Amino acid sequence: MAVAQLDLAAEKQARARRWVRRPDFVLYALWAMFWLLMLTVAIQDYLRNGGKQLWQPALWEGTSLAVATIWVVLQRRVTRQYAIYIDRPLLWIGHHVKWLPLIVVTFVATVYGIRHGVYALVGQTYRHESWSYVLFYESLKLVMFFGLWLGLIFGFDAYAKAQEQRQHLLALQKSLAEAQLAHLKAQLRPHFFFNALNTISALMHVDVPRADRLLSRLADLLRATLQWGDKEITSLREEIRMLELYAQIMQERFADRVTLAWNVDNAALAGSIPALLLQPLLENAFKHGVERSRDAVRIEIEGHREGDRLRIVVRNTGSTLARGPTEGVGLRNCRERLTVLYGDDGKLQLTQLPDGVEAAVTLPWQEHRA
Amino acid sequence: MMRVLVADDEAPARGKLQRWLSEQGDIEVVAESEDGLSAAEAIERLKPDVVFLDIQMPGLSGLEVAAQLEQETAPLIVFVTAFDEHAIKAFELNAIDYLLKPYDKDRLLKTLSRIRARPADGSTRAAVATARAQTQSRDRLLVPVGETLQLIDSATIEWLEASDNYVHVHTSSRNYILRRTLQDLLEQLGDQQFARIHKSAAVNIASVKAFTPLFKGDYEVQLRTGKMLRLSRRYKDQLFGRMGR
Repeated sequence: MAVAQLDLAAEKQARARRWVRRPDFVLYALWAMFWLLMLTVAIQDYLRNGGKQLWQPALWEGTSLAVATIWVVLQRRVTRQYAIYIDRPLLWIGHHVKWLPLIVVTFVATVYGIRHGVYALVGQTYRHESWSYVLFYESLKLVMFFGLWLGLIFGFDAYAKAQEQRQHLLALQKSLAEAQLAHLKAQLRPHFFFNALNTISALMHVDVPRADRLLSRLADLLRATLQWGDKEITSLREEIRMLELYAQIMQERFADRVTLAWNVDNAALAGSIPALLLQPLLENAFKHGVERSRDAVRIEIEGHREGDRLRIVVRNTGSTLARGPTEGVGLRNCRERLTVLYGDDGKLQLTQLPDGVEAAVTLPWQEHRA
Repeated sequence: MMRVLVADDEAPARGKLQRWLSEQGDIEVVAESEDGLSAAEAIERLKPDVVFLDIQMPGLSGLEVAAQLEQETAPLIVFVTAFDEHAIKAFELNAIDYLLKPYDKDRLLKTLSRIRARPADGSTRAAVATARAQTQSRDRLLVPVGETLQLIDSATIEWLEASDNYVHVHTSSRNYILRRTLQDLLEQLGDQQFARIHKSAAVNIASVKAFTPLFKGDYEVQLRTGKMLRLSRRYKDQLFGRMGR
């Protein structure tokens, strides 16, 4: 089930990526229609002027078409590095316009070269206006057509980019909404909540300060959960604080069965991280490790900055990775959020250790600004 | 004196129940268990009158413990849970005692007075049957190994042999002796996998190799291990029908 959904998501993304290429079909179709029109006009014009050799207008338009097409294909293939400027039209256009002089020169040289060559091959002479006039006339024509087509291409690319961004935004919103819901459900997970309340109700008969403390922790966690709202990115410091609240409550319940070790670098605390990304990892460590194991379980939480990456590890003893590709909602959600926010740079890796399970999240380092 | 066992994996939860139960003049808490398996062992060893079984415990859940008990001889069961929608619905349907965490003293006293007033009604049977329906108790059987209990995969069982109040469980590797009736054991394991062959024996259908006719409509069943058993007329049709003959 989970796998099917992941496949579906991957396919959706692939389709979104292909979207960038799809306007090219439309563009080339328009290009073909444009040249068909040009050819028709040229032939009719030639016939009206009493011309008898149809290969002539065909050659004129054919050579123009060939060279112009090479430049258009080059634009589609080679100038991908300008794609990043699509959000700044002037820069984008500027980067293209700087090629214009070269285009004019190669166009005139190649087109007229071929025409002269072909005419010579059939034993005729290609007659045209003086070279200075040709250069002037062709430049003017090229500037016009260049402007027209550049505008069209810009429109296509900008539209594709907008589509892509919209898709991305939608995916982001969806995964955020899901994460919020999953988190609310998890935090308010009745089992967790009622068990915690029962622990308080048991403790207050023997240790009032401890019961009081636990009650405050529970209230803190509930408050933080309710306040979370629309905060998508938070600092590792905040994220760890939430984990600590949860862990403190669980530790009261399973005092003799779990030891926690926190090893988070001070330098890493300032890093930014999607809010509540790590919560499901710690919950799993308790759910599959502590709650199902008769022996004492050790949970280690580590956070390090490794160059331009932030790496957080939640490791627990006493559990084994579920066989097969089935993954709970929590893990799937964590994975999806990483993909949506960081693409291939965000990863969640689960590893079976000799005596437990390790969940490691890596994401690009970014200093968090509140 | 009512002898009570408390099973819960959380120490504070056990403490609370133990304290309130001990205040009662007619109750003795004979043991506390921290997990399912030791709860089952304590029930087997101490034979308490009443068990308070937390549902969520490591190893065996409270429901799984109850599912492995013999219906006739099982103690009165009070399930304790923080939240288990599914199980709670089943408890309500079958009038089974349960406590929802957190509960107060009044709620516990109410449960206790119900237990004290209870004539031998069918509630224990219902509790065990419900627990079996809620868990995969067909696939796993709790058997004694020396002083302790151990879960075995019911697919490894070849045949079951009743003698007096015991059932011998024959598996490919070894035999176990359970103090249960064949009838109750077959109810737990279900008739998908096991079939009676005569009054005091049943086979795992998967381990049957061949049948040989005997006199008067009786047959001989040959197991894959070579073991020969008698199939009585009474169970013949049923078994053949199940095996597609």
